[in-house]
Amino acid sequence: MSGPAGSGRGVPPLPFTVIGGFLGAGKSTLLNHLLRDAGGRRIAVVVNDFGSVNIDAELIASHDGDTIALTNGCICCSLAGAFALALPGLRDRQPPLDHVVVEASGVADPFTVGQYGTLPGFRLEGVIVLADAETIRDHAADPRLGHQVRRQLERADLVVLNKVDLVTPEAAAGVEAWLRELVPGARVVRAVDGEVPISVLLGELGGAERSPATEPAHPHPFVTATLRANAPVHRAALEALLERLPDRLLRLKGFVRLEDNRWMEVQVVGRRWRLRAAPPSDVARDRSVLVAIGSGEAVAEVASRVAALGFSHDR
Amino acid sequence: MGESIRVYAAREIVTMNPSNPSGRYVAVRDGLILGVAHDPAEFDYWGKYEIDDRFAGDVLVPGFVEAHAHSLEGLFAETPYVGYFDRLRPDGSTSPGSATLDDVVDRLQSVDAAMTDPEETLVAWGLDPIYYPGERANKTHLDRVSSTRSIFLLHASGHVATVNSALLRAQGITAETETEGVVMGEDGEPTGELQEAAAMMHAGPVVASLFTKMTAESTWWNFGRAALVGGVTTMTDLGSNLLSDPALLTTIESVVNDDRFPARVVSYAFPAALGASYQADDVVVAMQSLKSRETSKWRLGGIKLVADGSIQGWTAVLNPPGYSDGSRGIWTVTPAEMNASVPVFHAAGINVHCHCNGDAIVDAFTDAVELALRRVAWLDHRHTVQHCQLATSAQLRRMANLGMAANLFANHLWYWGDQHYEQTVGPERANRLEPAATAQREGVRFALHSDANVTPLGGLHLIWAAVNRVTPKGRVLGPEERISAYDALKAVTVDAAYQLHMDREIGSIEIGKRADFAVLSDSPLEVDPMAIRDIAVRGTMVGGVVHEAPRVA
Repeated sequence: MSGPAGSGRGVPPLPFTVIGGFLGAGKSTLLNHLLRDAGGRRIAVVVNDFGSVNIDAELIASHDGDTIALTNGCICCSLAGAFALALPGLRDRQPPLDHVVVEASGVADPFTVGQYGTLPGFRLEGVIVLADAETIRDHAADPRLGHQVRRQLERADLVVLNKVDLVTPEAAAGVEAWLRELVPGARVVRAVDGEVPISVLLGELGGAERSPATEPAHPHPFVTATLRANAPVHRAALEALLERLPDRLLRLKGFVRLEDNRWMEVQVVGRRWRLRAAPPSDVARDRSVLVAIGSGEAVAEVASRVAALGFSHDR
Repeated sequence: MGESIRVYAAREIVTMNPSNPSGRYVAVRDGLILGVAHDPAEFDYWGKYEIDDRFAGDVLVPGFVEAHAHSLEGLFAETPYVGYFDRLRPDGSTSPGSATLDDVVDRLQSVDAAMTDPEETLVAWGLDPIYYPGERANKTHLDRVSSTRSIFLLHASGHVATVNSALLRAQGITAETETEGVVMGEDGEPTGELQEAAAMMHAGPVVASLFTKMTAESTWWNFGRAALVGGVTTMTDLGSNLLSDPALLTTIESVVNDDRFPARVVSYAFPAALGASYQADDVVVAMQSLKSRETSKWRLGGIKLVADGSIQGWTAVLNPPGYSDGSRGIWTVTPAEMNASVPVFHAAGINVHCHCNGDAIVDAFTDAVELALRRVAWLDHRHTVQHCQLATSAQLRRMANLGMAANLFANHLWYWGDQHYEQTVGPERANRLEPAATAQREGVRFALHSDANVTPLGGLHLIWAAVNRVTPKGRVLGPEERISAYDALKAVTVDAAYQLHMDREIGSIEIGKRADFAVLSDSPLEVDPMAIRDIAVRGTMVGGVVHEAPRVA
């Protein structure tokens, strides 16, 4: 791939999310939902095998070798071989993509795959691992492969506990408790049939600029709050907040002006937070903004804690 | 008829045909062997012939069959080498080993001095830090070579690179770089070490150009040259993306089918080229569609699976008690996936070779083969456990019962034997590494391999390693696993051909087989066992075509 010179300075880096999880966890179904209902985003989904994603025929605009173009502006690429070499093509694609979502194969470590999202021109936005509520504990206890299954979960930003409808509510609670014990601070989203709100998977479109669309009914109720501040924010206080976010907060994203007038991008996906210099394209704004997604309680807690930093609800 | 008969006289011919073990003359017509005799008068049966004395001072053995190599061997043919051991290059020259990191720096300094374009990146390969205890190779070593020219030094493992400060600067790799594997020093700055693929991608265009070159015609020609200097006349490309890359097969055809290309190539296809969650039925169809393109020099051998990592990377999957730190290695496919795909390939009559470094993987692959055999009684499948480095007696017995073959990574005994004994798997398992004698006792037909480019291509070093089992520090690893020179020669000729389903046509010097010979200065069966690897390869014959090994003063 080309170096920084080819990474399109001035063009914001392309958000990059990995979807992983052991065989049978429901990755293909989740990706199928994502492609079908991309919420106006142009997403490139990079999969292991077209066949398993099973894109509806009426959605396919064209099929050219490794790439299927969809009528909604998304593309689906099958890149078994030189995945890394194909990345610049995604980065430079016209019209530009909004997001790249990469499927990690069943035994791969999704966190390792996520490292490609830290290359110039990309921005790693999350490593999301699916777990089948019915089978994950057995897989994690497998004497041969268990250590790899556990490692996938341990290195995930966000765990989607899928197929919770196939187990009793007590069993689902049991698996979730087990997950939180295995991975301290794990952020867990429950799902049925791989249906997860796109804002939870990929964050808000356009860098927290837009109000989130109404989310469909869901086994786990999510709330979104947009919080804004006029005054600059104290960095140490911000970092202290990020260190101790509530477990049920799934995402927090925004741009914050610090006391030294530098603009920083805040990004929280599950239990991992990043604070980095905002891309120049994203600093032309007058107020700091944060968008929180999570349970009602968690979002309320965040709102009250950032109030101390000068943020208030967007009205 | 019509083709003339040529009878080659040799000092000695070792045929590896037990019913006619030796001779001094071999008759060749139209690329095929008419026979081996001590008296050329035996060939009167065939009519008129011409005696050719060019090999009169040499020993002929069957051309070596390398059942586990990679065309990658050709990629680095023209790239400066800075490994620990001396390395024979495809042009016939020998690149000296680097005993210390200072030697590495010296070597790179002379490469740098010879480069004319100051903008060109210096690329070198072969660094093996396991041999340089003490300070880890880093940017400061390479900065001694150049502070302005970018330097990219690929390690022997292929998984890690070390780069200099100029490259870090040029590619914008800084303390802020987030990628795991971009190693940071105590000062918070990059040390110059880039671990694994994503981190190495930061090195920029130099990496992309290596990828592109991987399938270039020049790489394939150099692969052939490497075979020639090693006496190899048939080699696998054990793991090819040709199912998803039609241009690759076109390249292979145009190079390998050329009479001047000095080897036969057997490609084994990665099914995952069709996607990590491929359907085995689709792979079968894709394989069948390529069958018609086979020639006498290019074959589609079967399927290659890779199920774990490497012992020296601590990623080979071990049965209990595992590694000393309690870890067990990394699976790259699951037993369930193997159970789903292997029986499908088997039922379609496709030979399957599976990379199994750790003993746990041997079990999993053997389970899949047993499942396949319960369903379809193809007895002559010859499915092969590749590497098979740590297989136990019990595993080899079971493999024998199921008709499986083994390909042992004999060169590991020399290249990493001490590390396996001292660091990776400990003494007892290091002593049973590459269990050739056990395989023999338990009735498993086995080959020996180089895994080129991991170790250099060539039959003699493999024989030497399996016969002597010595390490650089002078250990004899598992003396009970040593085998005779004859059995080792058999393992790099006819028994290697067996696991490729090619022993009917190659692997011994025998009437009706292809005229594929290695031309040696001495017989590996006659010289002192420790001198086997020093025998000179003078050239090869492939299908009756003579290829002289390049001579470099």
